[in-house]
Amino acid sequence: MRIGLAYDLIRWEEKALAYTIKDLGHTLELIHVPESVFYLTEPTIRGLDVTFERCVSFYRALASSLTLEAQGVFVVNTFDVIRNCGDKMLTTAVLAKKGVPVPRTMIAFDKVRALEAAKTIGYPVVVKPIYGSWGRMIAKADDESSLLDILDFRENMPSPHFQIHYIQEFIRKPGRDIRAYYLWGEVPVAIYRVSRNWKTNTALGARAEPANLDESTKELVIKAGEAMGSGVLGVDLMEDEDGRIVVSEVNAVVEFKNTVRVTGYDLPRKIVSSTVEALKA
Amino acid sequence: MVKVTCPICGGKLDIPEDSLPGELFEHEDCGAHLELVINEGRFELKLAEEIAEDWGQ
Ligand SMILES: Nc1ncnc2c1ncn2[C@@H]1O[C@H](COP(=O)(O)OP(=O)(O)OP(=O)(O)O)[C@@H](O)[C@H]1O
Ligand SMILES: [Mg+2]
Ligand SMILES: [Zn+2]
Repeated sequence: MRIGLAYDLIRWEEKALAYTIKDLGHTLELIHVPESVFYLTEPTIRGLDVTFERCVSFYRALASSLTLEAQGVFVVNTFDVIRNCGDKMLTTAVLAKKGVPVPRTMIAFDKVRALEAAKTIGYPVVVKPIYGSWGRMIAKADDESSLLDILDFRENMPSPHFQIHYIQEFIRKPGRDIRAYYLWGEVPVAIYRVSRNWKTNTALGARAEPANLDESTKELVIKAGEAMGSGVLGVDLMEDEDGRIVVSEVNAVVEFKNTVRVTGYDLPRKIVSSTVEALKA
Repeated sequence: MVKVTCPICGGKLDIPEDSLPGELFEHEDCGAHLELVINEGRFELKLAEEIAEDWGQ
């Protein structure tokens, strides 16, 4: 097959995917998005069977997946999936609508209403930017006064998306969360991200450990993956004190370096081969 | 290895031949974070982009 790789930066993941595509005997076509021109209003023959969308920048991922799809290329993940996963407001709304358990979440646009929402949810609450990653700008407010400080910071940020306050129930996790990989209806591998920090991002120093998920947790991951529209996804789960498991978010340009390192599982190979299979089906 | 000039300090970096455009390198001598650009087969380095708000996974 002719497989495209649309990217902006080369992380460990993009390199691993590039090598794997060639290793499996496919033809690799690199699409370095920042140096490309995409034709939005006229068809372009690209001769690609499938393209992996791997831009680190959410907006570049949106633009390049949209135009590639307009040119008739099958993009993984699709534009719709990338949009719905990249914006936490959309992710939470889509998951909730499809009956996937998520933390109770509210949206407000000013301090008065944000405080009202937090009061309804009950402290502590978590406030998140609607897009971004690696735990950046995500804050926990233990009480009204710390929430006011957070809202003050947000309201003084120039970007309009900070004027949307995404306020969420705080889940009392057992010092870890779960990152599971959803690949076309399968859950081949998962890790725990263990940390003393309530934010368990590996980018913030959490330790990755292999996780064996039970069947019901895997079913939840599959339900979340299907709800978002299937493809190659990183589904993040949180366990609470009563053993309830909720989906915190779904990542559409998913990183997996630490998962491969601690589990030894060849996830890049599985991503390429399961996508080729999905394409044939 | 290809010898490429650091655009910040003018020193030299060794870049593997099979590197791809967009690949990141740190120049140990000056600490600059650099990104590879391939111009008609020629390797060049430019200052890497700063992490933007919309970056992530
Ligand atoms: N409602 C919550 N209750 C408790 N902890 C939370 C909650 N939401 C997020 N967290 C913690 O904060 C971390 C970062 O949150 P989240 O995954 O939403 O952010 P992100 O910046 O999109 O991260 P990623 O790099 O995984 O995409 C999570 O890994 C989790 O440990
Ligand atoms: Mg995320
Ligand atoms: Zn230098």
